[in-house]
Amino acid sequence: MLKIFTLTLLILVISSANSAEYKLHGVLDVRATSADTLKSYVNGGYGKFTSHNGANVSLAQAGGEVVVTWDIGLSAHVVANAYSDENDSVVGLTEAFLKYRTLPNESGYRWQTKMGIFYPEISLENNAYAWASRNTLNSSAINTWLGEEIRLLGGEVALTRLGKFNNNAFDITLAATAFINNDPAGALLSWHGWTIGNRQTLWTESKAIPDFRARMPGYDLNGQAAKSDPFLELDDKWGFHLRTKVKFHQKGQISAGYYDNKATPYMVENGQYGWRTRFYHFGLSWRLPAAFELSSQFLSGDTLMQSPFRTDVVNNDYKSAFIALSKRIKKHRLTIRLEEFSVTDNDLTIGDNNEEYGKSATLNYTYRLTKPVFLSLEYNWLDSHRPSRMYTEQAIDLTERQWQLAARYFF
Amino acid sequence: MRSLSLNILILCCLPYYAIAENININVVDNANKALPDMVVYLQPEDDISLPFNEQIVEVGQFDRSFTPYISVMQLGNKVIFKNKDDITHHIYSPIGDNKFSFKINAGESQIKRDFQQTGEVAMGCNIHDWMSGYLLIVDTPLFGKTNENGMLDLPMPPAGKYQLIVWHPQLDATNNRVYQSIDLSEQKQVTIKIDNKILKISEQKNQEDFDFLSDY
Repeated sequence: MLKIFTLTLLILVISSANSAEYKLHGVLDVRATSADTLKSYVNGGYGKFTSHNGANVSLAQAGGEVVVTWDIGLSAHVVANAYSDENDSVVGLTEAFLKYRTLPNESGYRWQTKMGIFYPEISLENNAYAWASRNTLNSSAINTWLGEEIRLLGGEVALTRLGKFNNNAFDITLAATAFINNDPAGALLSWHGWTIGNRQTLWTESKAIPDFRARMPGYDLNGQAAKSDPFLELDDKWGFHLRTKVKFHQKGQISAGYYDNKATPYMVENGQYGWRTRFYHFGLSWRLPAAFELSSQFLSGDTLMQSPFRTDVVNNDYKSAFIALSKRIKKHRLTIRLEEFSVTDNDLTIGDNNEEYGKSATLNYTYRLTKPVFLSLEYNWLDSHRPSRMYTEQAIDLTERQWQLAARYFF
Repeated sequence: MRSLSLNILILCCLPYYAIAENININVVDNANKALPDMVVYLQPEDDISLPFNEQIVEVGQFDRSFTPYISVMQLGNKVIFKNKDDITHHIYSPIGDNKFSFKINAGESQIKRDFQQTGEVAMGCNIHDWMSGYLLIVDTPLFGKTNENGMLDLPMPPAGKYQLIVWHPQLDATNNRVYQSIDLSEQKQVTIKIDNKILKISEQKNQEDFDFLSDY
């Protein structure tokens, strides 16, 4: 909190000292939902959607970003999000960072640095204002997880080589980030598995974890806090994220990267454990003939959490991939997304089975009512095998479904 | 109105140009197909002094692209950069002696009058990387761009030998130029055939058709 305050103060000081341009952008997203699911993962259940079982109306997102830019190439970005449904209402910051972009030099090389709290650039879906998903109401499992547990407090340096200076039809970017405050990342993925939603964890928020036997007195995870706070620094060690992106002009882009939070897995403070979480990721978006847009992401990694005696308590491998096809015809856009995901539990901890395998399909139709207003109808289907649901006497094999009707206003 | 008065000014400045007498230039490829949007300029080889061309160039940014893609001006003149979009652009040129960079807010203009050197000014936008435009600065008042039929009319200068130069940023030739000597005491119509290829012009179009992307 102090860091956010300092950063905000710094931004305000700079903005008053120099002539600056201010912009406010954002999104308002109101939804009616009818869902056949369990209690949502957002509130510590095993339900895989952000929404709860039954019919309800929610403020699915009220997001805003303030961007201050100066002529020297510096900009400050503060992103806040609010969510409100029948179970809870929250508001807070999700990102706050300074960005500095140089001009390209004579060979077309350009530097960009980012400092503060920000998402690693992985998602191909969440590029609308306030990290809203562009073509679907609910992000894929990969990006729902990134929104829930992955956030960087640190600095990124990126170098881009612009192809137009070199007679190439592509731009290449290489970037490296050093970060702190993401040590417990992996806990929520392990304990509720992959999910599909649109909720981003606020920087100051912690999330309830589901009930399972190993949390009971006498079991290995009795010391775990009831809520996991993914944005903590426990061992004062820097993590890193490396990424590369090749953008082919008018065609699409490919990207790849590697994340390692370098957390010490046997550190524990106030019931928050360090989780050594590492993953690599690939992304592809491509424009196909007949104006079809293809996008696909793959993410695979592991996470390790140990007892203070350095024995494995949670040791999981996880994987997820999606492929999506989208096409716009005038004011209409149709998107279909298919996904597969898994978690493999490699430890022997009793009462904490994290195994999971599942598939999901999303179908979205969006109508652009006016320039900033989009009406969407989305159907999500998710079929999963998750033995840990037996801890709360729910079906190990479960199919969840939901319909959502949304009005989204971008400003 | 301004352009009319400018034209009158030009006419006044060029009293020895026979009014309405033009040299007609036609640029074609090796299959005799018209080449539009080619910059053509005439540089005297003999010792001929020519008056300054007062034409003011406007380089617009509209629909997130440079419009026109190619502009041409005489050294010493000024350029008006006009942002006709509802978003900020950050125009720059990173190469050579005519480097510059500035932001133009939505709907605003910026005048630049301090280009020091002749030559090609390759321009981009540091916010929208797909934007690309060119400004050629020449040291002669006799210049223009071919129309869709590959034709250009220039006011007939004093008789003598001239070098006719054709330039296009994607012309696959040394310095992107093709040269031809002409004697304007004999000719009033010139056809210039370009054997070199015009390389692919990268489309100034955003890949995204979504207006609410979080960037920059």
